[in-house]
Amino acid sequence: MYGFEAMTFNVHSGYLEAIVRGYRSGLLTAADYNNLCQCETLDDIKMHLTATEYGPYLQNEPSPLHTTTIVEKCTLKLVDEYKHMLCQATEPLSTFLEYITYGHMIDNVVLIVTGTLHERDVQELLEKCHPLGMFDSIATLAVAQNMRELYRLVLVDTPLAPYFSECITSEDLDDMNIEIMRNTLYKAYLEDFYRFCRKLGGATAEIMSDLLSFEADRRAVNITINSIGTELTREDRKKLYSSFGLLYPYGHEELAACEDIDQVRAVMEKYPPYQSIFSKLSYGESQLLDKAFYEEEVKRLCLSFEQQFHFGVFFAYMRLKEQEIRNLMWISECVAQNQKSRVHDSVVFIF
Amino acid sequence: MGLWLEPNSNGRTYCSSLSCNFRNLPQVQLRSRIVDTPISNRRTEMTMERQQREEEKKPQTSENDKDEKVVQFLDSLNDYLTLMDSLSSALRQGWLELASARHSMGSWRINSAILDHKFHSASTTLQLSSPDDSNYNMKQPHFTLRKWESCDDEDFQSKEVKLDEDEVQKNSDDVQVQKERSKTLLVFGALVSPKLRDAQLSFETALETLVDIANRRSVMLSAYDHVREEILGTKQ
Repeated sequence: MYGFEAMTFNVHSGYLEAIVRGYRSGLLTAADYNNLCQCETLDDIKMHLTATEYGPYLQNEPSPLHTTTIVEKCTLKLVDEYKHMLCQATEPLSTFLEYITYGHMIDNVVLIVTGTLHERDVQELLEKCHPLGMFDSIATLAVAQNMRELYRLVLVDTPLAPYFSECITSEDLDDMNIEIMRNTLYKAYLEDFYRFCRKLGGATAEIMSDLLSFEADRRAVNITINSIGTELTREDRKKLYSSFGLLYPYGHEELAACEDIDQVRAVMEKYPPYQSIFSKLSYGESQLLDKAFYEEEVKRLCLSFEQQFHFGVFFAYMRLKEQEIRNLMWISECVAQNQKSRVHDSVVFIF
Repeated sequence: MGLWLEPNSNGRTYCSSLSCNFRNLPQVQLRSRIVDTPISNRRTEMTMERQQREEEKKPQTSENDKDEKVVQFLDSLNDYLTLMDSLSSALRQGWLELASARHSMGSWRINSAILDHKFHSASTTLQLSSPDDSNYNMKQPHFTLRKWESCDDEDFQSKEVKLDEDEVQKNSDDVQVQKERSKTLLVFGALVSPKLRDAQLSFETALETLVDIANRRSVMLSAYDHVREEILGTKQ
């Protein structure tokens, strides 16, 4: 019952909520980012991060460092924190936490299938997979020739099985089919996660509905922009949009017909929450759109911590941590390429 | 009494005559004087004057040639350095845009592990025309970049079109090139970020600049050889 979570939430999930709020206080601040942005080399970045909660993960890394190494070690910290929470969670929190990783699972499946299509070694591909999205039979994905086999041989026993009903065909896998499969799976996953959160009810349903709706709308905009100038038809594009969100259904109708970034802007400016995002961009520009969306997402994620006794804080923490890792990746790349003047193009401060 | 003629280096002849004092013979004085042969006097004088003028002009002409060659060498060196600078900018821009695309799409979508190892024909090739080729008349080698060759060669490579078909040909070429570009990016997925497309364009520009650098270097080395020959020739 909404409003009465305080009576029962802490029985099963109070400890983990305290843990995740503790993790939140370990996120890097603006002062940390300012120090990192002034580093001259990757070793300087490592030295600064050693003084943060990433210290144990980076201190033993030998020089010379690479940007991918920094990202891998920081991701390991996220994975350890997630596993610590998952192993102590009870239902329904454990299912909720598992839902958070299904997006990474889809990315890993697509990576393995794409790499196999390009005749790459499976071991090499497994090393590139996101650790949060690993499952036992992932290596056997390499034997599948089409989606039906993919489903029958491997994915039927994974949590992604229910999402395959819309995209099972016997066509051989190629780059376009794989892309359609990726987006169809992700759409099905988001809708399923949305339904699950609505079923939980209370503050979790309210907060997660807002966050997942924003995610669905952002996906719709990205699909539209990325498909401009490609062979994806309007109908196929519309099929990839989720069936919920602020833009559903009329915004989706208009987005499906967009042929350039200015038409997308014209559609999005009709919706007040997105008007502020597009007002930061000049006409014809899409470079800063990602940063604008990330800033809006971070604002909403931080607001979710203002309320207690809901599962949204777990989702918010995972997303904020991923944003932090993206920030560190971007700072490392700018330092490594000696382009420190561009470092603020994509860094999103969390606090 | 003897009379003999000795030519000297100027082409003039000396005539030496010996005179002796015999009692009954008229006196002939021994003297040596420059004597021009009577028939070609004028012509030889003109030839000698012309040769003198040419020899005076010769140092001036060769000085102008030398200067021209040195200027040519310096021009080609300047062009080479300018191209190196623009290559550096294009590559910096390309790498940053690639990092930006990885930031936007995720590092699991843009990484070396998903590059295509299947056999496929090259979309871009480099043609070298060397002085040894029978069809090539220049003294230095020349590099030509042939981009997006996997599309229809005849339609794409033809640059000399009739005025009437200019626009139509250009539009179809642009569309074809865009399709080839998108096809190349399919390795990373069908729906890629505009940042990845920008990175592709930057690297394409860098490749064109590299070929220009190679051609400019070839011209520069040839100009340098000419200058060196001139210097060595002057020393001798």
